[in-house]
Amino acid sequence: MYRYDEFDHEIVQSRVKQFTAQVERRLDGRLTEAQFRPLRLMNGLYLQLHAYMLRVAVPYGTLSSKQMRQLAMIADKYDRGYGHITTRQNVQFNWPELTDVPHILQDLADVEMHGFQTSGNCIRNVTSDPYAGATAEEIEDPRPTAELLRQWSTLHPEFAFLPRKFKIAVVASKTDRAVIRAHDIGIEIVKNEAGETGYHVIVGGGLGRTPIIGQTLRAYLPREELLPYLEATLRVYNRYGRRDNKYKARIKILVTETGIEEFTKQVEEEYATLEPLDIAVSPEEVARITAYFADPDFETLPAHSDAYKAKLLDDKDFALWAENNLAEHKQDGYAIVNISLKPLDLAPGDITADQMRAVADLADEYSFSEIRTTHQQNIVLPHVKKSDLHALFEKLQKVKLAADNIGLITDIICCPGMDFCALATARSIPLSQAIAQRFADPVRQRAIGEMQIKISGCINACGHHHVGHIGILGLEKAGVEFYQVKLGGDASENAAVGQVTGPGFSQEELVDSIERLVDYYIDIREDGERFIDSFKRLGMAPFKEVLYAA
Amino acid sequence: MSTLKHKGKGPQSLTANELREGLNVWLTAEFEWSRDYKMALQTEDEAVMEKMQAKGDADENDNLVVGVYFIDVEPDTGLPVRYREKFRVKGPSYDTADELGLKRAN
Repeated sequence: MYRYDEFDHEIVQSRVKQFTAQVERRLDGRLTEAQFRPLRLMNGLYLQLHAYMLRVAVPYGTLSSKQMRQLAMIADKYDRGYGHITTRQNVQFNWPELTDVPHILQDLADVEMHGFQTSGNCIRNVTSDPYAGATAEEIEDPRPTAELLRQWSTLHPEFAFLPRKFKIAVVASKTDRAVIRAHDIGIEIVKNEAGETGYHVIVGGGLGRTPIIGQTLRAYLPREELLPYLEATLRVYNRYGRRDNKYKARIKILVTETGIEEFTKQVEEEYATLEPLDIAVSPEEVARITAYFADPDFETLPAHSDAYKAKLLDDKDFALWAENNLAEHKQDGYAIVNISLKPLDLAPGDITADQMRAVADLADEYSFSEIRTTHQQNIVLPHVKKSDLHALFEKLQKVKLAADNIGLITDIICCPGMDFCALATARSIPLSQAIAQRFADPVRQRAIGEMQIKISGCINACGHHHVGHIGILGLEKAGVEFYQVKLGGDASENAAVGQVTGPGFSQEELVDSIERLVDYYIDIREDGERFIDSFKRLGMAPFKEVLYAA
Repeated sequence: MSTLKHKGKGPQSLTANELREGLNVWLTAEFEWSRDYKMALQTEDEAVMEKMQAKGDADENDNLVVGVYFIDVEPDTGLPVRYREKFRVKGPSYDTADELGLKRAN
């Protein structure tokens, strides 16, 4: 994985010194809250409903075991012994004290981490495929491109005060595991007819209060043109994006109001005025970055492991876990391991400090010290030998990280909601737990098959409810929480925004209604159909009727 | 300085966050800040509210608290009117630390 060069170190260490002094000035009154607030936000420090919250950047969801151990230390020393994986692959701590934050930032800097680009109207932390560098589906590892974008966007003076925040995601396979079409810019690494590698650039996607699926800006962009072309796109957004109304300020609104054809024309015109060579990086620099993401020293192994197969027959729990939590690896004899952070009794995405240390140890022992966070709020060990899988599984069981529900109905995306968030209108964690408990039976979960339930505690949609097969939005009226439902959303390469079903439900009503919906789907599905497939085949009407049948 | 001046209806309490720890606090009858809502001063007296506002502004200027504002209070229950404020009083209904008995090491 990428290691900081001298400039990265200098930037991060300088920021720690700056913020340490800024906190001192805030505490003794030389800075007012109005002056201090944008400074703390630039380091990922929010003031939430009950306390400060620190968001730590995990660029493209890649962590080393050393970094994970440091996060565990921070959770224990400065927080309450746990952290939370966000839908943008970052890590949040819910209870830090202001006076500790400079120390936390120093501890993060010691392992090449920080809170840059996790708040504010800048280009946010770039996200990517958690299977990057491991899946056979990809054209190439998308992380060098994501790292290039990180370096380009970090502290870029022209993009530090955009009309609104700006999110970029990069993938390199047809299967979209980063929801690129719901980003301000989504980048898909593709090949053209000549077999050259370049970029499919998608613009104007986003969730929030106005969900929009991104549209193609350039179907094929030559590799060397990426940074200049994005620079031109950001310039157009910076120039024409609305600053009078924060709810209309995202690029998705600009693209929609301008029209994709006219917007594309504006970008191309701006691009024509640039001196691309002034912005583009040299092939040598690209090669230097790419070298950090070289494959680890994989062993040459047969595609099939007899030891693994034998354990599948011997250990039923292991077989169930392997069925759901493993993905195909590009290297014979290896597997991608998904570690679910969705146990039935805890909040989605939360991980204790002890579990972080256990994951770090397991990454060292079995996965070349590499760890990934996912937008689904889970963790991935990207490179595990099949012959090691059973031993890994047994160790995961010991630290309660062996939930076997990846991609199933209890693998719910869920924002912190009213329990923590200052913007929330309703709780989301208790609802996710109630749904998980209702569908706790592992046999039933498997019978239902792939199902994505996504819950947001407010209209800002951090829980991605617009693109859930079943999306749930928590609202509040006259002191009573209620939940609006969307059906038919899709976060995959076939991205779609779900349709609102109608009036909202109480939490109790909703769990019953979802159960009726799921039972109906089981009854009417055709061979091999997932819930989303049945919904697309039949449309809203029959599902809505069942949902409101009580 | 406060961003939200008194403009509510019925009994009022004054709330803020501690600058250092960030935790929620309410102004007490002794004109001190407490993390316990039960200690919160509740009043409909405009003159008292003015004094509360002055105290909030002063403590914000003295860098003790941030984000001072009044909240509406239900006369019958003594609880905040707004759902959000009820949550600030009660704390999270779910926190992994509480669930597992985790706490800060120091």
